[in-house]
Order: sequence, then structure tokens, then C-alpha cells
Amino acid sequence: MQVTVAFSDVKFGYGATHTLDGADLQLSAGEFIVLAGSNGSGKSTLLKLCLGLLKPQGGHIEVLGGSPFDPNVLRRTGYAPQGLRMATSLPVSVTEVVAAGLTPSKRFFHRMNRLDWRKINTAIDSVGLGDLSAECLFELSGGQQQRAILARALVGEPALLLLDEPTTGIDRGLRPALAAELRRRADLGATVVTVSHDPDDFHEVTDRILVIQDGQIEQITHEEFHTHFDPRAPE
Amino acid sequence: MNILLENFVVRAYIAGALVGVAAPTIGCFLVQRKLSLIGDGMGHLAFAGVAIGVALGFTPVWGALVMAILGALLLERLRARGRLSSDLSLALIFYFGIALGVVVLSATGEFNATAFGVLFGSPFSTTDHELVVISALCILVLVVTAVFYKELLAVALDEETARASGLPVDQLNVLMVVMVALLVAAGMRVVGLLLMAALMVVPVATGSRLAHSFRGAMYWAVGAGVLSALLGVVIAVEQGSLAPGGTIVLTSIGLFFVAAVVGRRAARLHTRGGAQ
Repeated sequence: MQVTVAFSDVKFGYGATHTLDGADLQLSAGEFIVLAGSNGSGKSTLLKLCLGLLKPQGGHIEVLGGSPFDPNVLRRTGYAPQGLRMATSLPVSVTEVVAAGLTPSKRFFHRMNRLDWRKINTAIDSVGLGDLSAECLFELSGGQQQRAILARALVGEPALLLLDEPTTGIDRGLRPALAAELRRRADLGATVVTVSHDPDDFHEVTDRILVIQDGQIEQITHEEFHTHFDPRAPE
Repeated sequence: MNILLENFVVRAYIAGALVGVAAPTIGCFLVQRKLSLIGDGMGHLAFAGVAIGVALGFTPVWGALVMAILGALLLERLRARGRLSSDLSLALIFYFGIALGVVVLSATGEFNATAFGVLFGSPFSTTDHELVVISALCILVLVVTAVFYKELLAVALDEETARASGLPVDQLNVLMVVMVALLVAAGMRVVGLLLMAALMVVPVATGSRLAHSFRGAMYWAVGAGVLSALLGVVIAVEQGSLAPGGTIVLTSIGLFFVAAVVGRRAARLHTRGGAQ
């Protein structure tokens, strides 16, 4: 299997705290990874290192065969940050938000063509927002907003999907369909990495669960998660 | 001949309409990014540019243009480094610009009606040369915005995600503030440096009350900007003694209140329609 993300002896920390201390990681095309663990363990940090938003203090990171600071690499990734990170000063339609996910793959001067609009509509439909595509994002519920952000990450059909708590605010009943859609992307060859407090959301579709512990990235089983890492579990 | 069709009034209509289109267009991106005050900061710095230009014998608009662009690059550099997060740093830049302008103009004996025209606008005294410069600047801003619309929108929606997806966010930010600087220089003659930022913000607020999308808000904002400029000029001419810069901005604020009422009713109808 083609390696899509490779960490080698990566070090990163905030102040005196070492989030990653010589960590190694290899992810392959077609894998569905859940990155679990408690708040502050470094899950979002790991995603940001993959996206070039943070610079490692040591070691080496390769993403999709190149540097995470290379725009050509980043254009092949899809990222859904945790929650709505945009100002609500002006109305923005669901379609506009999702279309923004295609912008990096389009050249300057190039307008969206018919194929692009088909991709945009498909992405919106895939998260169940087809009837709300013309609505203002800020007038929707938190879960609907989260689904629009997820559609923005999906629309470019990226080779690497990095999702930070993608099910936050989304009704439990809708989560299996979203998990199945992400699994479908992985089966088509994408690497899907999703940060989650609750791997149960993705239990049926996950290939591996990873946690960050003592500066290292470790693979655990579903049972081990519930025994040792579930923040809701009684002490 | 009807005074509303005199040459000097027609030039004011044209200059006002051009700025009325261009200012809200770029203003939409500023407001969405919570950078509404950047235009004000550049206006203050441009005043110092006008003063230095007058002292050196240049046409005011060129002094304003150079200083506004330099100020734009400085402001963006400070913002990108996270040093513009406090009101204090922005306020220091405001006061530095306006104070420098006052000192230089008074030192050269030019602190007179010229200064008031620069600060508060004097569209009726727009010359043919100035009209050409205003047209060129506004058209340049509109063309650049059209070319980079989708990229500017992606950055305005979520800068971190835009950066994570490989867009050249730093360069786009510089492009945006330089366009604001061009507009400040273009609008100096129409509404003045102190009121120019209002035309970048108030029509956008109007548009935000009437639309469900960014593009829709931009169209409404442009409509409100043009209408404000034309009505403001007409009111100033009809009343004779009113400053057109002020009547243009007050008209735009009036349109905002109308839009706020209309928008609230439309929202109620939209909600009811959705519920049925």
C-alpha cells in the first residue's frame, strides 16, 4: 500500500510540554484511522503538523510524497477544523462554503465549470444538506453547520482527509451514514484520519485507532480505548 | 439648465457612483474578516500623505496613494504577526497619521479649505484629471476583485483552512489591503479620507440584512453604495449648503435602517415559509 503520511522521529511541544517526542507514524492509502484520546493529548496538533500549519521542532514529516508546506501537496488534502471558525458578519450560503473547498484546486482566473458544480452538489448531498444548499450557514443548527464544513473537506475528493471532531453536534442517528460516506472515500483510495473523543461513532468502519501517549503515537484496540482512554469512563 | 445636470454635478455623480460600486465590493471581504477599521487607519495615514505631497508640490491624490499603500503594507505586516490584535496599536497608527498631516499642512501654510476637502470630501470640485484617476483606481480594484474573487472569499471565510489547503494566504492578504489603499485614495475627493471607510462598511451592513449569501450581500451592498452616492450628491446640491461627503454617508446609514426593517420582515416570512 502506498504510504500517504510518514512521521519519523518527530518532536513537537508547547513550552515545556512535549506533545510528540520522537514519534513515528505511517499511514497508507485506503486506511480509515481514528485518532482518539483526551483533551490536550495532541490530536489536533498532529493534524496541523500534517497540514503545515505547525512546524515540527525535530524529525521529518512527509505527506503524500512531499513536504506538508508544499501547496501542491496541500491541494490534495481535505481539512475540516473543529467547529465553525468563520466570522458571522455577512451571510454565507452552504453552497459558497462548500465551493470554497474546490478553490485551491482551481487556477486564478478560472471560474467554476459544470463539472465543479456537480462535485459541489454531490458533496452537499453526501452530507444530507441538499435541501439547504441555498440557505445561510449561520441560520442552520450546529450539526448542520458541521456537516457543511465536512462537505467542504470532501468536495475536492482529496487523497488525504483530516477531520477534527467531524461529528460534533451532529445527531446520533445521522452519524452512521456519515461514517459510511467516509469509509466509501477510504475504499476509493483516500486516507481518512478523524479525530474523535468517541471512536464508537466509527466503530464499524475504522481500520485502526491511534492515541498519543508519552510523546509517542500508539495503536490500540477498541476495548483498550474504553478501558484506558475513554474520557467518559469512571476512574 | 437644471443644476442637477451641470458638469460639476455630473462629475460628482460619476465619481460617487464609481466609489459607490468599488468600496462596498472590497468592504464585504473586510467586514467578513472583522477588519472594518483598517480602512479608517489607511484614511488617517493617507492624510499625512496628502500633506507631504502638498509640501513637495504633488497632486494630493498621489501623496495619499503612496502613503496609503505604505500604510497598508505596514498594517498587514503587523496583523500577520499578531501585533494588531489590540485596539491600541491601530489607534497609535491612526493618531500618528492625522497628527503628522496637521503638522505638515500647518507648517506649509496649507491648513485651510484644502484640508477640509481632503478630510470630508469635495466631489463638486473634482477635475477631469482626478476623475480619470478615480475611474482607473476603481476599475482596477473591481477587475482584481473579480479575478481573485473565489480565493479572497475562501480566505475571508476561514483563513486557517485556506492556508491548510495551499492557498497563498499571505499574498492574498497583501493584495486585499493594497486594494483598500487604492480605494482610500480614490474616495478621498468624493467623501473624504475620514468618511471613506464608512462607504466600505455601511453599505455592506445594509447588504447583510437583505441576503442569504455572500454574493447576494455584495450585490445589495453595491446597490446601496451607488444609491447613497447619487442621493447624497442630489441632496447636497438641492440644499445648497450641505457637505456632500456627509450627506452621502448619512444617506447610506438611512438605507441601512430601511434594510434592517425590511430584512427583519423578510426573515420572519422566510421562517414562516420554512415552517409550513
